[in-house]
Amino acid sequence: MITERERERYKRQMMLFGDEGQEKLKKAHIFIAGAGGLGSPVSIYLGVAGVGHITIVDMDVVDQSNLNRQILHFDRDVGKKKTASAEEKLREINPDIVVTARDEKIDETNADQMIGTADGIVDAMDNFTTRYLLNDVALRKKIPLFHGAIRGFYGQATTILPGKSPCLACIFPKAPPKEVFPVVGVTPGCIGMIQATEVLKYLLGRGNLLTGRLFIWDGLESRSEEICVEANSCCAACGTGKPRGRELRLN
Amino acid sequence: MSVKIRFFARFRELLGTDVLATPAPGMTLSGLVKDVAGENKEGYDAIFDEQGAFREFVILMRNTKRVDTADAEKILVTDGDEVAVFPPVAGG
Repeated sequence: MITERERERYKRQMMLFGDEGQEKLKKAHIFIAGAGGLGSPVSIYLGVAGVGHITIVDMDVVDQSNLNRQILHFDRDVGKKKTASAEEKLREINPDIVVTARDEKIDETNADQMIGTADGIVDAMDNFTTRYLLNDVALRKKIPLFHGAIRGFYGQATTILPGKSPCLACIFPKAPPKEVFPVVGVTPGCIGMIQATEVLKYLLGRGNLLTGRLFIWDGLESRSEEICVEANSCCAACGTGKPRGRELRLN
Repeated sequence: MSVKIRFFARFRELLGTDVLATPAPGMTLSGLVKDVAGENKEGYDAIFDEQGAFREFVILMRNTKRVDTADAEKILVTDGDEVAVFPPVAGG
């Protein structure tokens, strides 16, 4: 049930999706992998929208060099665990939601249990090794993965619905090289907003998701484009269609 | 024959946004991108490795359809083609 206090808080968005929509958000549990450049705006906006339960995971400590983009963390938080900082801010931003912050590294031994019965996973990671792992869990649990990634003024986003769209490994079979990437805070801000919008649309059952489409943002040109992406029949992760190897063996 | 090559993100900074090219008949997709990227060494090196093969993370599209970069040496360019070359990013 939506309380009177919540009704007042969410008044302006309930003009868009009513009690029913707000209830859907309240009942939802979203897992946000990372409390950095993408995880900050995503968690803040899902928090203020009233997503009832947010789990946010990070293993790092706030560094001074994070502050140009990781807007969950303030100058006073330098040296503090990102999860402690994130939990404190999100609780202050919206005391009517439940926040679970986990100070852990996501790996193959704990990912399934950590994600539990969440309704969706937000990919706010900074590396493809963990992204592929989140993709595997999303496929196994048949829950959506909201992908976002950034570098400099550029970013990309897509939504993966297991069984209905190409998976992350179909779209990016090989990871871009690891690097200390240049970034200005507005870029994860832009991409994080795309991801958060996708989460809300998915939970509300509204609009068209970015499934089978890779959204590309060029902040320097102020231009967004999209490319159609298709399931790869040879994908090692989702195994859609007939793998090439099997065809050969049958022949 | 006239074709358009669209570069995205960092490739765009190094090689331009939309490049029009007039390749000779028989030109392959791979040859076309190499020719155009060859205008800027840094741009070429961002897309191709030391052996001249596409770097494995590069996404190549032809007329909005994904092309496996390993097949780009066999595919011939045709008049009016639009080729897109995109580098995924990994930061967060």
